[in-house]
Amino acid sequence: MASTAKYGDTVCCPYHPEAYLIEDYRAGDQICSDCGLVVGDRVIDVCSEWRTFSNEKTSTNPSRVGGPQNPLLNGSDLSTIIEVENEASSFNTYGGSKYHNHRSMTSSEQTLIHAFREISNMADKINLPKTIVDRANAYYKQVHDGKYLKRRSYEAIASASLYIACRKEGVPRTFKEICAVSRVSKKEIGRCFRLIVKASDTQVNFISSKDFMSRFCSNLNLPTSVERAATNIAMKAVNLDIVPGRSPISIAAAAIYMASQATNDKRTQKEIGDITGVADVTIKQSYKLMYPHAKILFPNDFKFSVSIEQLPQF
Amino acid sequence: MEVVCGNRFLSNNYTESASSCGDGKKAVIEEPQMGEQGQEASNMEENKVVKDEIPVEIEPEPVVDIIINNVVSSFSVCSHLDLHHLALNGQNVELRRENGVLTMKLRRPPTTASIWSSGKVTCTGSTSEYQARIAGRRIARCIQKMDYNVKFKNFRIVNVLGTCSLPFAIKITPFSQKFRSAASYEPELHPGVTYRIEYPKATLKIFSTGSITVTAPSIDNVQSAIEHIYPLVQEFGKQRTEEEMVEFRRNQARKHAGVTAIEEFEEEFSESELEDYILDQI
Repeated sequence: MASTAKYGDTVCCPYHPEAYLIEDYRAGDQICSDCGLVVGDRVIDVCSEWRTFSNEKTSTNPSRVGGPQNPLLNGSDLSTIIEVENEASSFNTYGGSKYHNHRSMTSSEQTLIHAFREISNMADKINLPKTIVDRANAYYKQVHDGKYLKRRSYEAIASASLYIACRKEGVPRTFKEICAVSRVSKKEIGRCFRLIVKASDTQVNFISSKDFMSRFCSNLNLPTSVERAATNIAMKAVNLDIVPGRSPISIAAAAIYMASQATNDKRTQKEIGDITGVADVTIKQSYKLMYPHAKILFPNDFKFSVSIEQLPQF
Repeated sequence: MEVVCGNRFLSNNYTESASSCGDGKKAVIEEPQMGEQGQEASNMEENKVVKDEIPVEIEPEPVVDIIINNVVSSFSVCSHLDLHHLALNGQNVELRRENGVLTMKLRRPPTTASIWSSGKVTCTGSTSEYQARIAGRRIARCIQKMDYNVKFKNFRIVNVLGTCSLPFAIKITPFSQKFRSAASYEPELHPGVTYRIEYPKATLKIFSTGSITVTAPSIDNVQSAIEHIYPLVQEFGKQRTEEEMVEFRRNQARKHAGVTAIEEFEEEFSESELEDYILDQI
């Protein structure tokens, strides 16, 4: 029998009440870190019962417990359900089924579940990793009961929280990209975004062109030399304030256009516009502002296949 | 700070004070160059003052014109209105069933009023507080003529929209970085910075061209908001380039063309005449 002492409500070693307890899951023990005394015993093992391999094609899952608990759902997703069968034994004399599955989730938790599923679907479409999805879920939960967002549709808040999660992780997605995988309009996502930032009292970093360069360039199949040149052009253009008032996305698109037109991998404004979501007239406008300064904007070690004088003027 | 108050032009004479270079001996105070400023907004002269010891401010004042574009007011006529009847018998009215709102447009002053069946009226399109009141009273008079027992109650100005154009362009990205708490800048959503101030209560939209639009509960708030923001923005000011100047002058010309039409209207009626005329009727 292990000796236990209750220091208030928590289990602790009787000789070292302040000592930190090491938990040994396999033996089910809690061991005092100072003297090695086994303090708690028969601690419930929370590891999974069966190891699952991805190449096993077993249709039956021998696990007797469900998946891991989602901490955002307050633990109410523990659900035991009774299998629905069509045998005579499960019906009473009046024809109604004897056993009912009482879903003990409140409607707010239902919306949480729907929203998490929605976020997960959207993230899947643009290949976002689980860290961002988890963060987006956390933001959604945070604003779920707030007074600011009471009347907004849950899809709009889900899209906005996904947008914020991407931004906070340092890999921002443009509003148009989130719009493409969501059913909500850009305006609504923008509104919800502002409300969530206000409600959670946080600040988001400003977007800059270089956050999007690698993604846009790889979608356009441009080599890294072009990508590096475009990043350089965009940064210099912003530092020299050649393009005041233009969105960083438009500057990025124009920079990619300029860099690609100077090599053999040319891309038209329309192609770049399709990938970045910027209208091709906007690219044209920004390019017109940047063209006169082309000499300064290009990096020093850039290999020109097309010289600067021969770059298109618009 | 002097305020020259016209009917709808509020010229804001902003006195700038310059400081010495720290040398103590000789201070050369130079006003930032304005380039060729054609518009009446700035009456700045080239300023080179060489001082011996103490910093002294004397500068010609840059004048910033604040134009009031829209004054929204609301009042109540204190009686239930039959919008359908009004729509059939009224002049210049339009009834939209889906909102339950009757729209009445006035020619002079050029305003639009939204009338609800509860008797509440919202009047937009005026360019001064006085004009808004006149418009409100005219609307009430129109309703009175169609045999309703009206009173002119709870008239208040809800919202005032003013614009102004600063003599310099603004670097909005560093500006919004400095004022993170009050300023919100999302280039993807809106090209301007939205700056909210608590006292006086106002929302300003600041653009990189140097134009600022202010939304506030009263015209005085608009003025104080601009005065409040001017030093903050001046730090991030920069010269306008040639193309920007061309664009700017074109915009100014367009705006002034619209403004002169209103001036003509106001010359016809002197203020006291108008007020007497309306008061007699109600």
